[in-house]
Amino acid sequence: MRRHVAFVFFMSTWSELKNNPRLREIYETRLRIISLIREWFISAEFLEADTPIALRLPGQEPYLNPVAVDFNDSTGRSERFYLQTSPEFSLKKLLAAGFNNIFQLAKCFRNTESFGGTHNTEFTMLEWYRAPGSLKDVMDDTENLFKFVGKELGAVKFPSPARGEGEGEVGAWRWEQSWDRKSMRQIWQEYLGVELNDYLTVETIKILANKLDCGLEGEAEYEDYFFKIFLNKIETNLGKDKPVFIYDYPAQMCSLSRPSADNRYAERFELYINGLEMANAFGELTDAEAQAKNLEKDRALREKLGRSTWPVDPDFIGALRSGIPGNCAGGSSLGVDRMVMLFTGAKDINEVIFQSVSDQLSENY
Amino acid sequence: MAQTSDIRKGVVIKGPNDLFVVVEFQHVNPGKGAAFTRARMKGLGSGKVIENTYKSSETIDIVSVQFQTMQYLYKVGERFAFMNMSNYEQIEMDGDLVGADAKYLKEGIDCVIGLYEDRPVSIELPKKIKYKVVEAPPAVRGDSSGGNVTKEIKVDNGLIVYAPIFIKEGEEILVNTETGLYCERA
Repeated sequence: MRRHVAFVFFMSTWSELKNNPRLREIYETRLRIISLIREWFISAEFLEADTPIALRLPGQEPYLNPVAVDFNDSTGRSERFYLQTSPEFSLKKLLAAGFNNIFQLAKCFRNTESFGGTHNTEFTMLEWYRAPGSLKDVMDDTENLFKFVGKELGAVKFPSPARGEGEGEVGAWRWEQSWDRKSMRQIWQEYLGVELNDYLTVETIKILANKLDCGLEGEAEYEDYFFKIFLNKIETNLGKDKPVFIYDYPAQMCSLSRPSADNRYAERFELYINGLEMANAFGELTDAEAQAKNLEKDRALREKLGRSTWPVDPDFIGALRSGIPGNCAGGSSLGVDRMVMLFTGAKDINEVIFQSVSDQLSENY
Repeated sequence: MAQTSDIRKGVVIKGPNDLFVVVEFQHVNPGKGAAFTRARMKGLGSGKVIENTYKSSETIDIVSVQFQTMQYLYKVGERFAFMNMSNYEQIEMDGDLVGADAKYLKEGIDCVIGLYEDRPVSIELPKKIKYKVVEAPPAVRGDSSGGNVTKEIKVDNGLIVYAPIFIKEGEEILVNTETGLYCERA
């Protein structure tokens, strides 16, 4: 479905898009993927939600930087809002309001990330929730959605590596085969020969990190050591032969998910295809008090890291307190731009976005 | 000591047993986690390509590189030969350090070569390079119905570019080496 052209082209102007057949093809595929996503969710009886992009009280993720915007009314009163980093809180409020199966294609913004590669400050995120729903339901949704989109696009396999160098087709696996599902513990065993159960505290994982040549100077959080090891020793190998869901993350890294059966871990999964993270999902934490505690902890960490802070959204905690249908929800977020990269063989996210941040800054604009 | 935000293509990082030239780098933010930078690097001693992922707060040891304008001569197997026009000294650079820039190289162009202890580690191309068009299919009647359309043309070093339909064989054009796009007639 893709002609082999060894260059990267960006959709920086309307005339580029009009005159360059490869760009046109990528953009048409993008639009088609977006409409196929809608088609799949509607046929699976989900409602498409619509929520605000600008929030006064956004999420508390310690490492995300929401873009601040100031709204002024006609008298000159000024209020600080933030562009959403994901529609998560809004959608969970809708669950509490009685909407059971919902999805949204949301424009999201994350500041101080790179203008290109696999990130763009503004990006498109698909987020969906099932209430009641389990992590397994959401994994099934993810796999079925990808397979539906692939089949409708007539793709036999993903046309090129999502990251790394070289041309060539990835994935000898076929669409009808089921994808791998492995726990984080299994993955550490497989790639490092290490029992993750023994490394669930910052003291123990620090020792392991040093042993694996992944040490960090100064004070660092559990998550820092965990990812330093994971990114250096494991991630790039994931999903090479076949997409893989990695599930059950150490509990301290998942402030929005509920504990797994083994409560040292939490219900969270990420989908990796050819070394690139495509989706992140939680078995949602619906215990309002536990959630409030986790968010306050994240807020304190933001403060410690010197990031801007705001109060925990009381309406979000109130929504959980009132109860989520079935008291059990599963939800996932998936990077639509990365999905388009995968199906078009694009190597840079700028190739699949019309007038991305970097395009608008380029000299061709 | 330098910060991970100083990592760029062509910088030389001092590792425990070797010096490494960054061939490619990328930012990674694992599942809403802290920022990391992943670099693909080639060992100057071993020649081996490795990947390392740094957390944003880590400090790294970047060694300084000298820059010298040199003229591109020719390809020797997997290596590229350049000449320092002030003293006529010749150097050869590994293909994997030249990377994707190789497709723009053309005899006689001036490039800025980064040298570490006289070894070439990075290359910077001129922003625009002039090429002669060697293959350009003639415009077909009706092609322009959609407005200002482009076609695929081949230039004298084998590079393929999309150019406006009016460009003919034998003409000279400028190509932007950052984007791979046609700029204008030379």
